[in-house]
Amino acid sequence: AADKIRLIPQDFLAELCEQIMQHLNHKIPGINTAELCQRIQTSGVDINIGDLAKIANTLSFLFSTAARNNLSTEELVTTLGSGVSTLPKHAVQVIRHVWNEQGKAIAVSEDAGNMATVGQFVDMKWKLGVAMSSDTCRSLKYPYVTVTLKVADPSGQITDKSFEMTIPQFKNFFRQFKEMASVLETV
Amino acid sequence: MAALRDGDFGALQILLKLVSALHNLTRHVVYRGFNRAEDILGLFPESFHQNLKNLLTKIILENVSTWRNEAQASQISLPQLVDLDWRVDIKTSSDSIARMAVPTCLLQLKIQEDAALCGNNPVVSALTVELSKETLDTMLEGLGRIRDQLSAVANK
Repeated sequence: AADKIRLIPQDFLAELCEQIMQHLNHKIPGINTAELCQRIQTSGVDINIGDLAKIANTLSFLFSTAARNNLSTEELVTTLGSGVSTLPKHAVQVIRHVWNEQGKAIAVSEDAGNMATVGQFVDMKWKLGVAMSSDTCRSLKYPYVTVTLKVADPSGQITDKSFEMTIPQFKNFFRQFKEMASVLETV
Repeated sequence: MAALRDGDFGALQILLKLVSALHNLTRHVVYRGFNRAEDILGLFPESFHQNLKNLLTKIILENVSTWRNEAQASQISLPQLVDLDWRVDIKTSSDSIARMAVPTCLLQLKIQEDAALCGNNPVVSALTVELSKETLDTMLEGLGRIRDQLSAVANK
């Protein structure tokens, strides 16, 4: 991952570090790796989302370990230097700057929500559609619900999962959630 | 063992043409959405054998809604939700917090990738998501709005 990190322009790297810090501080639910990757690619840099995800993971681990061990900025830079000697200068600069500004603020988490062993639900987007026609049926008029769930995986990175439901499936879906909510109330 | 004769291959070819013709006919009926005998009868040429035409029409009519449902189920679509399991837990303690009582929901969605792409071996992936009370309420709100939209559309 170290050699891929040199591909990322400094300002995008800074943005990524910012998001990681905000996520570690529970200010945002997750890191928008996919969206960031797209913008980096649009700017002409050839990086794929797998590599960016690995870099985000590594940086996240770096910052959270540093937080838990209460590292000062100098200690962090020294650790970086001794571990991954091939980190490009501009990357070290960004990491040093971000840690200097925000490192102290990261509270070693006391929050119950931090024990992420499964994905955390972030948001839901939906669409109600009617399929009018297809190559098998000229006149369909088939209603369906499309849902996109934004989920933050255990490393904090946000991925989207989209799927469709028929109307009866949707009604069942809704009913299950209402049941869940009422159980949560009473528990 | 019977020897293969030239006539056998001729017969096989005719059989293949027959199956292909039936397939085209039924697909056309499903595509046009015909559900009345007159529509289907009208497809056949004048010279076609009367009784055969009536028999075929009868059989097609009996099956057309099943075929239509199959066509709808296997059309291009996003991955489909096939199953939903859930569980409510209470987090009582962790390595960082000694005592707490935080209710949380674990949801497992089973999603089947596009049937048209997978053929006979659909790929089902499981997505496990945790929801807190707040995120569950967000979800419910969204779902409620879908339900309202559905009723509005149904009443038009």
